[in-house]
Amino acid sequence: MSVPVTLHALAKTYPGGVEAVRPLDMEFAAGRTTALVGPSGCGKSTVLRLIAGLEVPSGGSAAIDGAPPSETTRRGDLALAFQDPSLLPWRTVRQNIELVLGLAGRPLRRREIDDLIRLVGLEGFGDTRPAALSGGMRQRAAIARALATAPRLLLLDEPFGAVDALTRQQLAQDLPALWEARNTTTLLVTHSVAEAVTLSDRVIVFSPRPAHVVADIAIDLPRPRAPGLERNPVCAALMDEVVAALSSGMAETRPRAAQ
Amino acid sequence: MTRSALGILLALALWEAAGRGLAEAYVLAPPSAIALWLWQNAGLMARALGETLWNAALGYVIGNGAAVALAGLALAWARSEAMIRGLALLVFCLPLVATGPILRVVFGPGDGPQVALAALAVYYTTLIPLLVGLRAVPEAWLDLVRSYGRGPLQALIRVRARAALPYLVAGLQIAAPAAFLGAMVGEFTGAERGMGVLTLRAMRAMDVEMTWALATVATAIAMLGYLAVGALAARALSEAPSVMLAAPPARRGGGPWTVLLVAAAAMLIWAGGLRLLGLSSFFAKGPLDVAQALTTSSDAAANRAALGEALLETAVFLLPGYAAGLAAGAGLAMLIVLVPAASGAVIPVAVALRSVPIITTAPLVVLLLGRGALGTVTLVAIMVFFPTLIACLHGLRQAPGRILDVMESYAAGPLQQLIRVRIPAMLPAFFAAARMNVPASVLAVTVVEWLATGQGIGSVMALSASLSDYDLLWSAVAVTALLSVLGYGAVGLLERRVLRVYAPEQLA
Repeated sequence: MSVPVTLHALAKTYPGGVEAVRPLDMEFAAGRTTALVGPSGCGKSTVLRLIAGLEVPSGGSAAIDGAPPSETTRRGDLALAFQDPSLLPWRTVRQNIELVLGLAGRPLRRREIDDLIRLVGLEGFGDTRPAALSGGMRQRAAIARALATAPRLLLLDEPFGAVDALTRQQLAQDLPALWEARNTTTLLVTHSVAEAVTLSDRVIVFSPRPAHVVADIAIDLPRPRAPGLERNPVCAALMDEVVAALSSGMAETRPRAAQ
Repeated sequence: MTRSALGILLALALWEAAGRGLAEAYVLAPPSAIALWLWQNAGLMARALGETLWNAALGYVIGNGAAVALAGLALAWARSEAMIRGLALLVFCLPLVATGPILRVVFGPGDGPQVALAALAVYYTTLIPLLVGLRAVPEAWLDLVRSYGRGPLQALIRVRARAALPYLVAGLQIAAPAAFLGAMVGEFTGAERGMGVLTLRAMRAMDVEMTWALATVATAIAMLGYLAVGALAARALSEAPSVMLAAPPARRGGGPWTVLLVAAAAMLIWAGGLRLLGLSSFFAKGPLDVAQALTTSSDAAANRAALGEALLETAVFLLPGYAAGLAAGAGLAMLIVLVPAASGAVIPVAVALRSVPIITTAPLVVLLLGRGALGTVTLVAIMVFFPTLIACLHGLRQAPGRILDVMESYAAGPLQQLIRVRIPAMLPAFFAAARMNVPASVLAVTVVEWLATGQGIGSVMALSASLSDYDLLWSAVAVTALLSVLGYGAVGLLERRVLRVYAPEQLA
């Protein structure tokens, strides 16, 4: 059911000569959640866009289940959620969800859509247009939209940025449960070390641009993960490890800057 | 660059061939004949062009100056904005063609009417973007000025004026060809010198070469004006001047009280202006005279019948042309988005032609398509087509890239993206263009009727002006302006309904 993602020397250099991604070889196991962390502008989002087939690599390739991304998108098995919710302003929350169901050729089941809306805590706002929602609520609507097609590959780019702390905690409980039940392969780009460690099975730390991998840390914490996991000593140690890797990545790029 | 040069050469060659091939048909002059005519009549052309350019420049300065002053007043005294917008719209909807003879009797011979019409042709397209620009400032910037204890004057100097500059420049750019158009229309209505006078002479003499030569020069001048202002702006502004397509909708649609107030003010200004200028009541008709001419006077029934019949005739040309122009503009824009390869060829041409006052080419359309319905409908359609195309193209590209990414991640093809995302995102621009095109299409239809077809309301204006039937002339102007305003308002209402769903942020 679930799909692995393989990167073969995947690279992206923009026409201006900006090297966003250095050739990258990597395998994301099927049904697992992987967090990508790194400093702003290091190219993490570009990696996601390349995997989604939104950009054409300048070298190498990304394969989903051994095939080009377009195979997966054509079947409606891939979903994206960005920091910018990107909802269609003229459609209500429900209609935004219905749009992607229609695009992916899935049936529209009112009950399932209602369940999704409830899952992201937007009960009662299904028939509201984005303009009337707060930033955090819009992000949650975008998450609901991304989950609607039960995608096999879920690409999340900072989707919790504007979500309030309490809702974020609730989502951190509910979403992994859903991914596990559906066996979804999930890639999560985030700035939050705690989010990366508590949500995922593996954390990949990138250096500043052009990105290369500084550390690849397995997160062997039992699931389901309880709230307050950050205070667990094993988890805290893993978070320290990620932070250390991040700073070593930063240090690498400016070795002789100190005067 | 070389490719577009090749394209121009190819077009010229085709034009030359067609002109030579159709020599007997008496409709099309080849470029060589135009060049020859211009060479032989260089002195005449230079004098006429100098005259028209001077009038256009004066009108440009006066009209834009008035626009800046009015925008300043609206900003300083917010309550006056609805009134200023309302009166400005009413004046914008005056049929320029018929305003010409009225100004002619006010100013007498000389350049007055041409300059006044040039000013009238430019002030609105500068005023409206400027009003938007002065307010298009993020609240946070104003809070910043306030948080350092500074008042509205500092906010105007340090924030608003700078933020409004691109909007002003966009207005000034559209105004450059419009001023030339205004001056030419002014010359149609009884000047002694200028491009408009030569155009009339060429049409009466059925001089194909002269007509084409004049239209070519007028088009080239209008485009040069547009490009020159754009180039100056690009040098002065660090950011590219924003593409101003059409005025955004009024922030708060005037309630019934505003409408009544504007109407009352318009009557007062109209009647008071005539009194102040001390004009003879033989040709200066006030609102009461017009009301009498249409209701109580002995020939009221005849006047009403003449106007009604003429308006019906005009509607037959105007409405199909307007609809066809909108449909063709929006349709081509969609086609360009679906077939991006075409855009490289079409967009520069469309941007250039949008700046051309199509009226200057009215004699050509009449030559090519005759004085019947087809020529008139086509001219109206062309007048509406270019602004609609540019606005719709811009609107189609307004679709947020992230949303298109989401569509793409579900493998939605270009057609799906067009229907689901781009067309809805285009609607605000489309309706803004449709609204601004109401007065423009009325201008087009009245000019052709005035110059060529001898039918419709434009012809009634021409006839009544030449017969000194000033009751009928003023009535025709008043009724046409009123109908234009109503049409503008009707499209505006429709637009607000659409915006409420598709672009609620624009109504905030």
